[in-house]
Amino acid sequence: MSGPVMDPRFAPPFPEAALPILQNTQLRKNVAHATDVIQAKRNHLVAEKKDWQELRTSAAGIRAHVLANLASYLEEFETNCTAAGGVVHWARDAAEARQIILDILREEKASEVIKIKTMTSAEIQLNPALEAAGITAIETDLAELILQLGEDEASHIVVPALHVNRHQVRDIFARRMGLPQLADDPEALTAAARTYLRKKFLSVPTAISGANFLIAETGSVAIVESEGNGRMCLTLPKTLIALAGIEKVLPRFSDLEVLLQVLARSATGERLNPYNSLWSGVTAGDGPQRFHVVLLDNVRSEILGRKVERQTLQCIRCAACLNTCPVYRQTGGHAYGSPYGGPIGAILTPQLEHMRHAQSLPYASSLCAACYEVCPVKINIPEVLIDLRAQVVDQEREESRRWFDPMYIGMKAANFAFGSGARFRMAQRFGKLGLRLFTGKDGWIRKLPSLGARWTLSRDLPAMPDQTFRQWWTERESGRGKEETR
Amino acid sequence: MTSNSRQAILDRVRAATLADTDRYEDVPRSYIRTGTLDSQSRVHLMTERLHEYGAEVVECAPADLPHIVVRQLQQSGRHHFVAPPGVPEEWMGNSVSWLIDQNLSHEQIEQCDGVLTAASAGVAESGTIVLHHGPTEGRRVISLLPDFHLCILRASQIVETLPEYFALSSDPPRLATYISGPSATADIEMTRIKGVHGPRFLSVIIVRDDS
Repeated sequence: MSGPVMDPRFAPPFPEAALPILQNTQLRKNVAHATDVIQAKRNHLVAEKKDWQELRTSAAGIRAHVLANLASYLEEFETNCTAAGGVVHWARDAAEARQIILDILREEKASEVIKIKTMTSAEIQLNPALEAAGITAIETDLAELILQLGEDEASHIVVPALHVNRHQVRDIFARRMGLPQLADDPEALTAAARTYLRKKFLSVPTAISGANFLIAETGSVAIVESEGNGRMCLTLPKTLIALAGIEKVLPRFSDLEVLLQVLARSATGERLNPYNSLWSGVTAGDGPQRFHVVLLDNVRSEILGRKVERQTLQCIRCAACLNTCPVYRQTGGHAYGSPYGGPIGAILTPQLEHMRHAQSLPYASSLCAACYEVCPVKINIPEVLIDLRAQVVDQEREESRRWFDPMYIGMKAANFAFGSGARFRMAQRFGKLGLRLFTGKDGWIRKLPSLGARWTLSRDLPAMPDQTFRQWWTERESGRGKEETR
Repeated sequence: MTSNSRQAILDRVRAATLADTDRYEDVPRSYIRTGTLDSQSRVHLMTERLHEYGAEVVECAPADLPHIVVRQLQQSGRHHFVAPPGVPEEWMGNSVSWLIDQNLSHEQIEQCDGVLTAASAGVAESGTIVLHHGPTEGRRVISLLPDFHLCILRASQIVETLPEYFALSSDPPRLATYISGPSATADIEMTRIKGVHGPRFLSVIIVRDDS
């Protein structure tokens, strides 16, 4: 089975990738069910929270403040984490982060690592690099395990296997764990994963995690989760490596009182996540005795310098924008061709690619702004989408091959036609004549050739009316004139 | 290499934020910080939330604690328990066998089917048990591997809101675990399954030292 392409450099444009998915009714049913359930829980818990808007305002304020003062908070985190016994590494890009992690693992003589679900490791494509170096990565989050064993790709930031149903999970586990008798109820499947992973937790001495928050004041790292696989990976191994984007810092320990509340409610519809773990460097006798933090820039410092786009970095990866997005809810995550899908992925991915790839993603939105409304840190995603669209258009304007692009020529022609009233009327007349060829008996246009096909691929078009608005208006005005003279 | 990268990243970040003058004190904070419930209602809310997670809750007077611990241990149906070194001896009835965690190996802890600890705080609104992993809460591993966790929480430790807990922790803990319900997953079709890797059973004794 060849999975979807999730590397933005090679993934097909969004509309192309979405097409086969839209025909996969099973996948669409699974995605719709999962997003409905999470949204219902989230809406219920947000409604009961009297100070929800105040919490959002604070969360957005804290995140914006961190970004504005990022360098000093990073230095403060480094100082305090180092004092607590951690080792802090700095990686300019994905390649450097992979190299740092591989070097640590080589020093540890590691042949296996257990992993807590981390979006950042998917961003830097860590697993293929580990595999190439002969190191087996074992995903310990249940959903990530399902995907790893099923050789599938994540389609959601928080519940990455939401597109897979119980029967599919059963088949994957039965095959890969050698359990032909396995039942397909979620309880039996979860128990199978528990047994399978328990051995790994107790025997593999090295773990890799992400980080939900880095606390500058204390040098601590915080991870939120539900299953306990995180606690296992943070507690049992001898060596722990945490990979974190530089934007993940919070100023003070007490800032968690805001962020933990909005994150849990937005991500999984819980008052708090079942498990929140917080640790500072190394503690004698308790947990890993060697602890590394890899701080990853990877274009973030560049995004930080752009006025409109900076807010992208406020994100705390709750995925509420995915669950509410009318586009994501139809396609799921695979169509985005990036570990980061949905509205946040549509703005983050092309920026991480220096706008050289994934330029179709800013268009994968109806700009309905549902994402902005649910965002716990108030990222104005539609605003960023529009700005990125402008950048894509600016890019295309520079390309010489634009003269062969029917869209560009069409836009030029439209510009000319819309430039004067007489030309506009003329265009309307010809347009009506032309479209008549494609209009069905019922007055709808279902299929257009060439460029027009991009529209009719997913939408029908009403026929041009017999009378244009201008004609109607003129008639109405002259009619009224007659009435008055009468 | 890394030290060069460090400087390069910090330089780029500084250049990107040169014009910013945002102060920490100016972050708006008009969310609810302090609760309004009295002690009785706080305990009630905590109990309700713990029940929602499927945890078992009993209340007892301080004098009855040793007796109630013994009863809860017996009713758990488990026999091999581990406890941190700081737990008072009168909590440990002799109806089950005990290992005191003086740097026990993971294998030894894995052999235990239950753990008894105190708590550092409780947050009623979210039903959260806070462990700071001191002498009475123990190392992180002992409240992780055994399948049954019996936790003793004093009513006077329970606050109503999360910000109240943070207000109490002016000296941030080096280690902390916030438990809001037993280990769970909803990764398969959003069906909530209790007990993936952490303890599958959480039982809480709330000691009414508040009246």
